[in-house]
Amino acid sequence: MTRVIAITGKGGTGKTAITTLLIKYLQNSNNTTLAVDADPDTNLPETLGSEDERTVGDVREFMLNERDNLPPDSNKESILESKLFEVINEMSGYDLLVMGRPEGPGCYCYINNLLRGILDRLIENYDLAILDTAAGLEHFSRKLIHDIDDLIVVTDGSRRGLRTAERIRDLVDELETKVSNVYVIANKVNESNKETLEKTAKELGLELIGTVPQDEEIAERDLTGSPLFEISDNSAAFNEMKKIAARLKI
Amino acid sequence: MTNEFPFEISPMFEGERVRKDDMYVELAGPKSKGFELVRSVDPDESINPVDDGKFTLIGPDIADMEEGGRYPLAMIYRISGELVEGDLESIVERRNHDFQNYIQGVMHLNQRYDIWLRISKEAVNKGLDTLEHIARATMMLFKSELPFIENIEAIYITDMAEVEKELDDAFAIYEARDERTRDLHDEDVDTFYGCTLCQSFAPTNVCVITPDRVALCGAINWFDGRAAAKVDPEGPQFPIEKGEVIDEFSGEYSGVNEKAKSLSSGEYERIKLHSFFEYPHTSCGCFEVVGFYIPEVDGIGWIDRDFLGNAPNGLPFSTMAGQTGGGKQVAGFLGVGISYFRSPKFIQADGGWDRVVWMPKHLKDKVRDSIPEDIVDKLPTEEEATDINSLESFLKDKNHPIIERWESEEEEVEGEVEDTSGMTQTQSPATGYQYQQNAGLVPPSQMNAPQPSYNNSSSGVKISFKNAKISIDKLIIRKKE
Repeated sequence: MTRVIAITGKGGTGKTAITTLLIKYLQNSNNTTLAVDADPDTNLPETLGSEDERTVGDVREFMLNERDNLPPDSNKESILESKLFEVINEMSGYDLLVMGRPEGPGCYCYINNLLRGILDRLIENYDLAILDTAAGLEHFSRKLIHDIDDLIVVTDGSRRGLRTAERIRDLVDELETKVSNVYVIANKVNESNKETLEKTAKELGLELIGTVPQDEEIAERDLTGSPLFEISDNSAAFNEMKKIAARLKI
Repeated sequence: MTNEFPFEISPMFEGERVRKDDMYVELAGPKSKGFELVRSVDPDESINPVDDGKFTLIGPDIADMEEGGRYPLAMIYRISGELVEGDLESIVERRNHDFQNYIQGVMHLNQRYDIWLRISKEAVNKGLDTLEHIARATMMLFKSELPFIENIEAIYITDMAEVEKELDDAFAIYEARDERTRDLHDEDVDTFYGCTLCQSFAPTNVCVITPDRVALCGAINWFDGRAAAKVDPEGPQFPIEKGEVIDEFSGEYSGVNEKAKSLSSGEYERIKLHSFFEYPHTSCGCFEVVGFYIPEVDGIGWIDRDFLGNAPNGLPFSTMAGQTGGGKQVAGFLGVGISYFRSPKFIQADGGWDRVVWMPKHLKDKVRDSIPEDIVDKLPTEEEATDINSLESFLKDKNHPIIERWESEEEEVEGEVEDTSGMTQTQSPATGYQYQQNAGLVPPSQMNAPQPSYNNSSSGVKISFKNAKISIDKLIIRKKE
């Protein structure tokens, strides 16, 4: 069974940075990993250092534009599956799939219905699927990917951030998507707020599985646009990710 | 049964993906060339009969290939048997995808000249060092799963020059097959397909997909419906038995009517597949194009989702789509998929293309090849007609066939129609209707679109005329079947 881990949180909290650190950790593990950028903003390829710009959105548009030119009796599911495999970016140690732009105004019922099945079967090929999701939870409603084992809410070091995490946890129950565990990772944490954070998380009943410290190297790479994925193995942030992975038992 | 092969064969390996890191070799695919082709051979063929079980390889074998390399691949199967005929070729060919995916460590994607295969390192390590294993396993599956194949031989090509040489022939064969497929019509099949994907927001929608009528969203044709229904008959696409032909011309079938009743929870009892006015197909909300009646010219205009301006009636797509959608039969409006314009039965119950009086230019260009030659230049777009007046004068100038309808109406029909309760045939709006010149300001529901009568009582029709002067070129009265 594939373990599906989705990473979510408010904009600017560092979802993509946390996802990147996790993928970096998994690159050399024994797990086969599929990284999915499910954020229409599409930042993950850049932080991972991938220059491939093809997305599932492109595949969808291709099918919409080309379908009348295809042989009338062609098996569209098989074509769609092949096109989807073409946009999988085969990185060293893991695969990357970028969902890309949202749908246009046409009708996507049929294509999405096929995609659901294809993505389900694709994901089963991996030990782990790591999803970097958009800020909200709307994308789950489309149910392109269902059943999430672990939902990780990334929050900044503020009390308000933890409140958001609490809200997301409560929202999860209302989703049609099945979510087994909800965890919180606090990002950009420093010595002065760490203790308060841990205490507040406890009060709110949130399972805080990591506090990623503010890291100069992350900020610098952000600024210069050099892939965060190449962060040094012994940086404070990556060291914390190793501990988080151990707590997640991966 | 699989002992002779160095791999396991089972449907459970379908969906198995060979990742780059695990791949020994890639064959064909987007970065190389290849194809798969099944040819039927006459069992009495004497010069080159099918040599059952024979495998021929032209080019390097797996053992000669470089690890991590990429090579072209053509797979040609020659089949024969009492029951084997040319029309079966594509059906048999499609199964190559299934069977090769049953082989552990082999990934087969796509079809025809888009095939893409990968063989895993693990499979090669376990002894899959020749394509002959794959060919033999595939041929074995062909014969056991499709018993009408009595003899089969396989020719695999991995030499680029040889693949390219054969590719042109293959293209010609695919093209000829597609021609035959496009020639399939409603009357050639016993089964249509239904789709309920849209019922979540259009609960009474009854989407009927036939060879001559694509789904309203344009995404699902009859072949897609057939393929999906075969895989999962309980899924969103399912078969609809045609049943009895009630009226082939307007496209009314007893099986469709029964499904219409059950799928719409009794809301609709009849659907005529190729009708615009009377018992039209329901409209979901996904339709690509909406047709709208323009009473001033007694014609039908079409507007598509991508056209952002107003139609000559002053309304944009969004407004008319709102009127039309929701899974209803709406008099005077009809949602369709773009490919329906290519259907030879396109609204034939209501005059077909002769009744079409307006469409956006980019839509017209898209379906231009399907517009009858004598209409194509007479059919205005937003460049020639932006309102009713310019529409009317363009149609008049070009002598559009719709003019004939106007002329017959001008024959002063001052009739009074009584007791229309039993009428099922919708009349074109005769002069008895008051036309709204400012249709754009009037909600379409109040426009004088012909209202099909759903009261199908058998009491008959009584029409009386007073001071009437009628001239008719042709009148056909038929007993209701």
